[in-house]
Parts: sequence; C-alpha cells; structure tokens
Amino acid sequence: MMTDSIKRQLDFLNQRKHREHRRELTSEQWDEIAEKITDKSLSYMRRNVLRLELFLEHETPVILENTKIHGLRTLIDFPDIYAEGELDEIRKTHFIHEKGKVTNLAWDCGTVLSEGLEGRRKRLMEGKRSDSEFVICANRVIDATIAFSDRYADKMDTTAGTALRRAIRTGCQTMTEALQVFRILHFTLWAAGNYHNTVGRFDQWIYPFYEKDLKNGVLTDDGAFELIEDFFLSFNRDSDLYYSLAWGDNGQSLVLGGMLPDGTNGVNRLTEMCLRASLELRQIDPKINLRVDINTPVELFELGSELTKAGLGFPQYSNDDVVIPGLIRLGYAPEHARDYVMAACWEFIIPKVAMDIPNIGAMPLAQVVNDTIRLNLKKCKNIEELLGFVEKEIRRKAADMAEKLKPLYIETSPFQSILMEGCLEKGEDISNGLVYNNYGFHGTGFSCAVDQLAAVDSLIFKTGKITSDRLLKGLESNFENDRELRHILRNDADKIGRDENARVIGNHLLDIFAKALECIKNERGGIFRAGTGSAMYYIWHSKDLPATADGRDAGQPLPANFSPSLFLTGAGPFSVMSGFAFPSIVKAVNGGPLTFELHDSVFNHPDSVKKVALLVRSYILAGGHQLQINAVNREKMIDAQKNPDKHKDLIVRVWGWSGHFVELDKCYQDHVISRAEFSV
Amino acid sequence: MKGVIFSIEEFAVHDGPGLRVNVFMKGCPLRCKWCHNPEGWNPNPQIVKNPNGCLDCGKCSNLCPSPAHCILCKTCVFNCPRDLIRISGEEWEAKDLARRILKQEHIMEKSGGGVTVSGGEPLCQADFVIELLSLMPSLHKIIETCGFGDTSKFNELLRCVDSVYYDIKVVSRDKHIRYTGQPNDIILKNLEILKKSGVEFTIRIPFIRGVNDDAENLLATARLLIGAQGLKRVELLPYNELAGAKYALVGLQYGEIFAKPDGEVVRRAKNIFSSYGIDIDIR
Repeated sequence: MMTDSIKRQLDFLNQRKHREHRRELTSEQWDEIAEKITDKSLSYMRRNVLRLELFLEHETPVILENTKIHGLRTLIDFPDIYAEGELDEIRKTHFIHEKGKVTNLAWDCGTVLSEGLEGRRKRLMEGKRSDSEFVICANRVIDATIAFSDRYADKMDTTAGTALRRAIRTGCQTMTEALQVFRILHFTLWAAGNYHNTVGRFDQWIYPFYEKDLKNGVLTDDGAFELIEDFFLSFNRDSDLYYSLAWGDNGQSLVLGGMLPDGTNGVNRLTEMCLRASLELRQIDPKINLRVDINTPVELFELGSELTKAGLGFPQYSNDDVVIPGLIRLGYAPEHARDYVMAACWEFIIPKVAMDIPNIGAMPLAQVVNDTIRLNLKKCKNIEELLGFVEKEIRRKAADMAEKLKPLYIETSPFQSILMEGCLEKGEDISNGLVYNNYGFHGTGFSCAVDQLAAVDSLIFKTGKITSDRLLKGLESNFENDRELRHILRNDADKIGRDENARVIGNHLLDIFAKALECIKNERGGIFRAGTGSAMYYIWHSKDLPATADGRDAGQPLPANFSPSLFLTGAGPFSVMSGFAFPSIVKAVNGGPLTFELHDSVFNHPDSVKKVALLVRSYILAGGHQLQINAVNREKMIDAQKNPDKHKDLIVRVWGWSGHFVELDKCYQDHVISRAEFSV
Repeated sequence: MKGVIFSIEEFAVHDGPGLRVNVFMKGCPLRCKWCHNPEGWNPNPQIVKNPNGCLDCGKCSNLCPSPAHCILCKTCVFNCPRDLIRISGEEWEAKDLARRILKQEHIMEKSGGGVTVSGGEPLCQADFVIELLSLMPSLHKIIETCGFGDTSKFNELLRCVDSVYYDIKVVSRDKHIRYTGQPNDIILKNLEILKKSGVEFTIRIPFIRGVNDDAENLLATARLLIGAQGLKRVELLPYNELAGAKYALVGLQYGEIFAKPDGEVVRRAKNIFSSYGIDIDIR
C-alpha cells in the first residue's frame, strides 16, 4: 500500500510543483560560462570537466518535502563545450553519432556504490597511467561530484548528511545510502552531458544492500517498498529536461529478473517488489524491462500483465533463451552475455564493460527491397533469385553505411569513465573504447520488406495472379490507375504475421541481413550487430519511400520495430506471435521488439490478466526474442488529440519508450492510433 | 463443405477458458433488438461501409456497375479513397478453416484453451460446424448458441463439443417474439436436450431493464435450470450501451434504446439464482 509520504510526493510531482525550483542562467552567466568552457586552448576533455564542475557549482541543492531520495535539477539549460561552428568543423572530417557524446551505457552500479568515489580514485591512482591528462580529469570530476554531494549533505538532517558524506566517498552501507548515492551519480551523469542513461539490473545491484539491511534489522519489506517507490519517483523529476529526440525518450530503462553471470536465476524478492511499485506509481519512468525464459513462472508474467493493463506501455519482455545465445554468438563472453540489459529502448547492451553503439545506423530494409523489385523483378523467375538481388544490395548498402561511419568522433567523458570497469585501471577515457566496441544497425520496415517479397512470391511467382508488368506499373503510378491491384496486394498477398510462406521469407531476410553485417568490422575493432528495431526511422524512412509491393501508398508510415503491417487483416495475436518467432532471430539480436496493441477492453474480463500473461508466455515458448504489448483505446486517443487537457495522464508506447500521448508530435500520435489493434 | 464466417478472432478472452480462437458464423434467425452485431444477421457475404471519415466523394456509387443489386464485384471497395468499404463474410471450406485454426494449436493447447464457434448462429450452419469441430480433436471446443435450430442437428452438435454457452433471452413466449422476432419453443426444447446430454454448459442472459430483469422472468429462468447436472453457471450480461454502434456499417438504423438494470435489480437477480443453488456471474 502506498504510504502517505509517497502519496504526497506523487501529488506534488503530478502537479509539477517541483518545477518551481528551476531557473535559467542569466545571460551574463551563460556568456561567462560559455567563454570559459569553449576556450580553444583547452582540450575537449578539459573543457568537458570544467563544464561539469561549473554545472554542479551552479546547481542549487533542494530537499523536497516527503522525499527520502534527494536530487532535483534546478538548471534548465547549460552551455556546451563547443564554440559556434566548432562541431560542424569536426563533422566535416568525422562521423558524429547523434550529439557526439558517450551515451546509452549501463554503468557498474554494484561496484561503484560499494566502494564509493574514493575507491574509484584508488583504482585510478594505482592504474597504469597515473600522470595522464585523463587521470587529472578523472580526479577533478571525482572532486566535483563529492563537493556537489556534500552540498546536498549540508541540507539534510545530521544523520543523513553524515551518512551521505561517508557513502559517496567510501561506499554505501545501506539500501537508503545506495539509492541516494545512485541518485547523485545519475544526476551528475546527465549534468555531464551524457544521455540515455540507463539504470541497469536494479534488482541485482541493490539486492546485497537490501539483504544486509534486513539482516541488521534496519529495514523491513514495507520500508524497502517505500524506498523503491521514492527512488522510482526521482526518475520523473527532471526527465523533461533531458536530451531526447521526443519527450519521454530519455532512456531510463531498468531491468528486472533474468539469468546471472554465473548461470543461476536472478529473480529475487525485489523483482516482484519493483513491478508492484511501478504498478502503484503509474509513472513513465523508470521504464521496466523484464527478462524471462522458458522456465519463468506464469505468476511473474501475470504481474507484468498488470502493468500492461495499467496502460504504461511496459514491461518490455526479453527472452534469455534467445538473447544470451545470440550475444554469445556475436562474441560476448558467456558471463557478459548473461548480464545483458536494455539500452534506452530495446537494444541489448552489456553493463560495465561495453562501449557499444547499438543505434549507430539503420538499414532501410523496406527501401532496399523496393529498389530491388523495381530494378530486378523482371530478371527473376522465383523468389530465390529475387532474394539473391536483395542480398547483394543489402551487402553493398551495409558496406557503404559502415564506411560512412569512419572516422568516428566521440567526445571524451571522464565522468562516465569512472563509473565503468577498466577505464580507471587502464587510465583511459571511455571514448577510446572498452572490452566491447560493437555497432548496431536497426533493420527498419522489416514487415514491409517481407510483405513486398511475399506479395511478389505469392501473386507473381506462385499463382500468376498478377504480372510483373502490372505490379511495376502500379508502383510507378502509386496505384492511381489500378486500385484493384492495391487491394489485391493488401488483402490477397501473403503477409508476415499470418502466412507461413511470409514467415519463411522473413527468416531468410533476417539471415541475409545478419550475414551481410558479419562480413564487416568497425574501425574500433568491433563488429556490426543486426537488429529488428526501428527507432524514429519508421517515420523518417517512410516519408520518401514510394509505393511498395505490399500495397502501401507512397509516404505512408512503416510499422514500428518488429511489428506486423499496418493493414494486416485476418490475423490476431496468436498468428502474429507465431509468425514473428524466427529461428534466425538468434543472429539478429541487436534488439527490437515485436510490438502490438490490445484494445483496453480486453482487460474488462476478470481473467484477462492471466490470459495476457499466457499470451506473452506463448511468445517466449515459441522462441520470440523480445515483446512489448500495449493496452490502448483508439477512441480515447482520438479524443485526446481534440481535448488534450482531458487526457494529460494518457500514456502510450511510442517506439522503445513510453510517453504522455498529448505531448507527442502529431505524426507519432497518428502512428500510434493507426497501428494494428486487436480488440475483443 | 463450405460455410460463411464473418470473423476469426484470436485471443477471445470472454468466450471460454484459456487462450481461444472464436469463429463467428454468419447468419442468425433471431433479430434481438439489443443485438450489437448486426453483421452476423445476413447469412451471405455483404458490403459494409464505415461511415466515419467518408468524404462523400461519390466514387462508390458512381463507379458501381450494378446499383440495383450488389454483385460483390468490389469496385467500391477498390475505389474508396479512405478504405472504408469491405466485404463482410467469407466462404471457407471446413478443412481449410480447421487448418487455419490448428496452426496455433500449440498456443491454445498449452493454455487449456481451444476454439469457440459463435455468431451469428452456429446452428444455422450446423453441418459445417460439425465438420469443422470434428477436424480439431485436440482442442477444447465450445459453441455459443441461441438454441434456435433443428433439434436433431443440435443433438449432433452436442456430441462434438466440450462445453456450450446457451442463451436464454426471456422465458415468456410473447416477449420472446416481441424482442427477438421468433417464439422460443424450439429454444426451450433444445434446452431440455442440453440438460439431459450431460454436456457442460453455461447460460448467458443479456440482462436488460424492462425486458427480462423482473423477478417473474428470473424465477422462471432459474426453475428451467433445476436439476441440470451439466450447468456450470449463469452469466448475466448487462445491456451494452454501445449496442447500436455497428448498425450504420450494414446500412441499418438501430431501433430501441435499452438500459442496464440498476444495482438493486442485479442484486435481486443474484439472490434468485443463488437461492436455487446456481452459480451466478455478472459480466
């Protein structure tokens, strides 16, 4: 049951009262700071450190009432380290991914919280390069973070303040301390310019503190539950200030359950407690990911389904039975593969030891297939020949895309470095890489690509129902003069998520994509990973894509991620789940879930949570790799477009994250509305 | 043999245990005034037009080659710029439909689920349904019926199923004619057959204020069920206020507006059935 203080904190947060503490820098302050941190006589690393020092100095510690875990951002914005045009200059000779920052990583929470920042400093000073610029900079960020933490400690009551001063330096003794220090470090990471900062395997790294507290009699389960709720709320205080491509896409993913590095099962008492806390709070952060496998008890799926019922757009499920072997296949050590977490959306990343960039590019599968059909269809007698051309084009495109990423520019990040494993010991900034330095390519428009191939196969090669000429002419004119063709392509052609032939083609296409990437290496010695996600590319890649052989009109959106066609008919959740469980998915585990919507009326039935749980489990048993189900109500969303004031709390899943519907750009709102919805 | 269905719904959570597929047969002999699914009335495939979003561009009628009598040529379907027109009802061979459903056998079987045949009215295409169900021996099978159909076919059907959802709209013959367009003699006769068959069954009652929520009707219904060994429970389905939503799709206008019985009446209904030792559930 929610305690009064959590209730009050929740009200405070929902009424956005915490935002009253925010302030803008004055223009004089802005100019003065900008001048200092864009000083061209300083290296980028030193500028980065100076920026963080000044950011933290200008922050005002705030202790909110009814709150146990403190840390509230008060500065709305802060200058960057690049002078005007400087980043554009770098871009002329380098590839810059997104903002050029270190991002989308999972840090070594367990170790850092246990040994404190002085423990980290000790590793640094005992490391290989104790006199390097990195060492100087890492020392400075440790000092700055401790000083900032001390300013919070000064505002707390004496006991809590003393505890925080000790914990940030030499390590946490209790669950409260661990959560508070995490909050300070998470806050600092955002302040340092890193973004899509994830939470990692929370039920694992916090467990030793919880267990010790219980043993020492300083905490009860009720107390732990309240602390978790307090901690979860803290992720929602500043999230609108974080850098993201769309509001809500802030990457605060939290992972529960799953196999441990030693091969044992990691589900513990906190796994369930976290699910219950998230259900009770109904906030969009942290975003819950549940790792499951063939042996996961149905009760855990039921708890997950309670969250789905609440309309939060999560949990997102990932299947250890597929993901772990897939990651091992890509070259990750078994103990690292077993420790995987989710990046901002759904990319599988390894905490502590990986500096992977899993979202560095997107293979436009729908476009590649469309180009291939237009160019080569008449040369082909069967689907195998056509797939041969597709393979050639994917290989060419992959090599081309990989080439364009060289040389990569990533800004240094001494602060992120002190949180990872190995940087301090080696005396090297994380931007130079870690144990794993792999890149990932999403595969966008997957079902559109498969459905184009399946349409050609079923209607031209197999049945001769339409001719190549008719198809090509129809595509050329955007079906203007052949509406019947468009109807046939949409309704009579094989489609993935319904027809076995399309599933076979889908499996083949995934295989081609994965193999094409196996042939290339990146300049950091890493590999390329094939994935099934789309991120925002499902909107970007669709705008210039002409009419396609699945009956899609020019410019019409593509399905997000690994989802069925927007005009799939005659198939429900069972067909879609069976249709999207591919043997070759094990080769394409960059991440990207099967996503579909259930009408929220499904949940009117008392057994519905149990049934949704069985449904989710059936996808895991079928060998699906990642799944995300939303409870949506189309009518409610349409009303929310007209009357946003009435639907401020309506939460929807967008691509790999949940956001408040009324705060999304209209193109995303429209897409969520138009997605396939299985109503009952 | 062939049958006409208007929908195959996977993950039908309201119509039986476990994960189920619900097949909706097209065609129904009753015209219940509260029916929310008029798409199920006509036994043949038909054009349905969604009026929401219609631009009134006239393409559907201007291009129609046979305005006086629809020949299902789909010209209007192809040419609607908003994709608002479709054909409801599709002919399936029983063996093809069984194959289609059994593709997901692994999902249904593992969850204790199966297939439910509903409608429309399954009894209207009894031979097809019998063949269909006989082709799926591994699945748990339910039919959902109003009971208005040939008694010998009903008997035959009962031998193919594990459970039955059986509707009793109202016991009074006159009221039955008034609200459904047909008398209920056959329905009550088939109920007796069902009771004697030993097959598990659930009674479903669309629960509507002023139609069947009076004590007299509820008592009469409960008495009909005395001694029925296969009876699992009675489910009261309070009137769906969105019942009229789909009439425009099939070019019809929804007639009478009804209401749900109020809380006190629901409680009384519960007590009546409970006093006869009948398990009662309000949906």
